[in-house]
Amino acid sequence: MRVAVCAPQVPFVRGGAEIMAETLVDELRRREHEAELVSVPFKWYPGTRVLDQAFLWRLLDLTESDGRPIDLVLATKFPAYVVRHPNKRVWVLHQFRQAYELDRTDLGQFSEETQDRALRRSVQRLDRIALGEAKRLFATSRNVADRIERSTGLAAEVLPHPPQELEYRSEGYGDFVLSVGRLDRAKRNDLLLEAAALDPGLRVVIAGDGPDRDRLESLAAERRLDGRAQFVGRVDEDELASLYARCLAVYYAPVDEDFGMVPYEAFLSEKPVLTTSDAGGPLEMVTDGRTGYVTPPEPAELARAAGRLRQHPEEAERYGRAGKELAARVTWDGCIDRLLAT
Amino acid sequence: MKVAYYSPLPPERSGIADYSAHLLPALQERIEVEVVKRGRTRPARGTDLSLYHVGNNPEAHGWIVDALRKRAGTVVLHDFVLHHLVAGLTIGRRDGHGYLDAMEREGGVVARLLAHGVLDKRIPPLWESRPEEFHLAGEVLDLATGLIVHSRHVEDRARAAGYERPIWRLPHPAWEHAEVVAAPIQGAPLIGSFGNVNASKRIPQLLEAFARLRRYRPDARLLLVGAVSPGFDLDLRLQRLGLSGEGIVRETYVEEDRLWSLMAACDVCINLRSPTMGETSGSVIRQLSLGKPVVVSDVGWFAELPDDVALKVPVDEHETDTLYAALELLARDEGARAAMSRAGLELVRREHELGRAADLYVAALEQAAGGEAVAHAVLGDVAAAATDVGIEPGSAEAAELARRLAEVELGR
Repeated sequence: MRVAVCAPQVPFVRGGAEIMAETLVDELRRREHEAELVSVPFKWYPGTRVLDQAFLWRLLDLTESDGRPIDLVLATKFPAYVVRHPNKRVWVLHQFRQAYELDRTDLGQFSEETQDRALRRSVQRLDRIALGEAKRLFATSRNVADRIERSTGLAAEVLPHPPQELEYRSEGYGDFVLSVGRLDRAKRNDLLLEAAALDPGLRVVIAGDGPDRDRLESLAAERRLDGRAQFVGRVDEDELASLYARCLAVYYAPVDEDFGMVPYEAFLSEKPVLTTSDAGGPLEMVTDGRTGYVTPPEPAELARAAGRLRQHPEEAERYGRAGKELAARVTWDGCIDRLLAT
Repeated sequence: MKVAYYSPLPPERSGIADYSAHLLPALQERIEVEVVKRGRTRPARGTDLSLYHVGNNPEAHGWIVDALRKRAGTVVLHDFVLHHLVAGLTIGRRDGHGYLDAMEREGGVVARLLAHGVLDKRIPPLWESRPEEFHLAGEVLDLATGLIVHSRHVEDRARAAGYERPIWRLPHPAWEHAEVVAAPIQGAPLIGSFGNVNASKRIPQLLEAFARLRRYRPDARLLLVGAVSPGFDLDLRLQRLGLSGEGIVRETYVEEDRLWSLMAACDVCINLRSPTMGETSGSVIRQLSLGKPVVVSDVGWFAELPDDVALKVPVDEHETDTLYAALELLARDEGARAAMSRAGLELVRREHELGRAADLYVAALEQAAGGEAVAHAVLGDVAAAATDVGIEPGSAEAAELARRLAEVELGR
């Protein structure tokens, strides 16, 4: 089958969504499909740029390429799913979250001006139309599926995707809590730093880069964490696997996250996950007292949970292994069968 | 966002007044709303948008149309047929010429001649005898920068009348009610009809069907709640059908609490209508929220109700027979009543819940207030990019761009 995987590209930014789209292409090729990643740069500001850029997708003709038909397009994210195709399928990682749950938060984009309010509604209307055209609609988590249903009335099938391929392993339960991901405010690494400030025994390693890095480093300095918070920046796959292998636990508590691959990556490394009760998608994977801890989004609670794992590494191991069983069930074979099923 | 809100409100006795009294608190939790005092037609200052509730009753809505004439805005079109309203705004204000013009605008010279016949009292008032033939919604549609409607029926009629601006079709908000105690009225079954007692509510057909039902089910009772319209001789009809004195329970205007308890007492509620002015029925929404099986006419908004919550009676030569069959089925089949009850409750929960309706209202109002500016900005950007690469206005390429924009409703 000839499949065009459609995903937007934010130049110079790379995160879980980009990895997932590339991996999907690889996995399709591995199963002898002809697959190609189709990408268009995306800039969502200022003003109505978000709609202009979405409209670019609408102008693409992906019905065929070089005289041969493209059987199916598989879009993963706003605004790629605005693309037109008679066999469009959408596997939603993200809608444009600023138009939904991030609106009127620090992470929002739209002001109270009437034009901005209407712009937000136009994004929602565009979602309704574009997602409504999909022959099949999947969401990477129940959280995403519920949001789609609330905002568009459309029912999406829940289909979690496997994490990136790394040399997952456990090399024991070290003395640090690992945080992995792009450093932006929504990932809420400040909560982890505040927890470290309350517990002098808590060491954290933050892997990743992004616009929130300076603020986080300043916060670590203000709280006098004195080397207990280590910012290692973007790391390669080997280094990432090694960090997962050596850490005590993995922290992952973004605000109402859609999905996020980090919990599955942690589980495949047999590590428990520390998350918060408002984290959204991760709560579908992390069960309090079974595969990690789910705490209220308070530094003291988080510090207490991390402290408990430090004092009881056997518990960390037990939770990590339970997580691994869970993560092992999510496979590319299963995903691709469902995505391509007629 | 701040919205100037024009609507009849209690103590005025109208369905739209009740509707607004119910909706307003939910809207006020979400946006700033200035409720405009009855009769004030001067544009409200400092508001981003005016929202006008327009129905067919000139006493309740005449001043609202006056205000709309002074400042265009979004109209909640509760009825599509506005003939009675326009008659009130013209003939009712001694402006016969205005009525002639309104009729001519819609139906040409023939309609103008008919209007002359009305003014000269040579033919009965058209708003009573043939309102559906001349809706007279043209002026309101011209003034409305956007429409909020509650049915596809009204949306389709507005589009058919040439309305091209945005239309938002929203669910009618349902009432939230605490536990309702059913009024102690016996009947096996007890069948209820709520609203004015007249021919357009198909009361003659209902009485006939009910009389047949009672021949086989002497314990059946019919609860008629509402005032008898002038010229409708209810007593005579009851007498002729042998329903005088028994089988019928009458109440005229009732307060809100009593209305709920009467509805709660019914096993089945009847909501017939023909002709329809395009209205949505608050009564039906109330009844569904109580889990009552409903029987409706197969017209307008009523026809759009899902088949599992309502039995629909076509308005044709078999109307009375079909209605009788529906009553008999519901009297006999407790399982069918229970299934309809469950489906009705689920429909209200899923579609008409007040918070959801208010959220959708706010979404529509936000688009109404700023949507045009957004559309212009997008069109401007696309047009500029097209011009940069040499796409001429009016060319096939420009038409293709316009088509693609329209597909995803950008640029409007």
